[in-house]
Amino acid sequence: MSASLLERRLSWSGWLIASGLAVELAVSTLVHPLAFVAFAVVACPLVVAGILLFLWALVTS
Amino acid sequence: MTRPDILLAVFAGMAALLAVFVALRAEITRARGGKILAFGALCVLPVLSLVGGYSTQMEQAQSTAFCLSCHVMSDHGRSLLLEDPSYLAAAHFQNNRVPRDRACYTCHTDYTLFGGVNSKLRGLRHIYIHYLRTEPAPAQIKLYTPYNNRECLHCHEGARSFEEQSAHNRTPEAIGSIKSNTLSCTSSRCHDTVHDVAALAEEKFWNGATLP
Repeated sequence: MSASLLERRLSWSGWLIASGLAVELAVSTLVHPLAFVAFAVVACPLVVAGILLFLWALVTS
Repeated sequence: MTRPDILLAVFAGMAALLAVFVALRAEITRARGGKILAFGALCVLPVLSLVGGYSTQMEQAQSTAFCLSCHVMSDHGRSLLLEDPSYLAAAHFQNNRVPRDRACYTCHTDYTLFGGVNSKLRGLRHIYIHYLRTEPAPAQIKLYTPYNNRECLHCHEGARSFEEQSAHNRTPEAIGSIKSNTLSCTSSRCHDTVHDVAALAEEKFWNGATLP
């Protein structure tokens, strides 16, 4: 795999993780059922997708 | 927010900033140090942040404030402050038989292996009904399944006040029926006044406590 493709995937992974963690941060200040749902349905999938993309980029490089 | 929650938030914030840094400067991974940094920023720190966030969310989801943050639950919350000691929920809340900051969860979770998970799934069902279906009026809200004595017995079983209570021993088989859940604690004209929010307008309230 070319370095630029690997770096592009790492970059995407970073953005996914950062956005997931930003959602996690935002909802951590709220005590409300929708905050729980946002964490479970938005933050977790974004961070997990970013981690999986990072690992996939590593094993396919 | 408690101090651990603040620390977790700071940790998640730093992890997010590092992830942004790697996203903006992915070329740093050409060097060995950059590879190590990327592994930390894109794998180790996010996993730790997620575990911490999960723990915080699960903790918050057990709080009385969490349950009462939905408008539809406000009457059930007010029923915890009723003056009349025959109201089961109020008697438990006011006499610290349940922790006040976890009053709802303490009685409404299942004390089984996956009780916590079941509680969260029920909570998601509440949200589904609240936002996507027509929710009943507070006085019409009912449990999805009949209340199981197991939840009462989790605390009361073995307690002298429970075991030697005359009403619980009015027949030789009564206490066995209670323990096997064939005679419900919350029906059978025993402890059947629990929240009874339909009657709130005519009742007096205790001023000795506030809702969390």
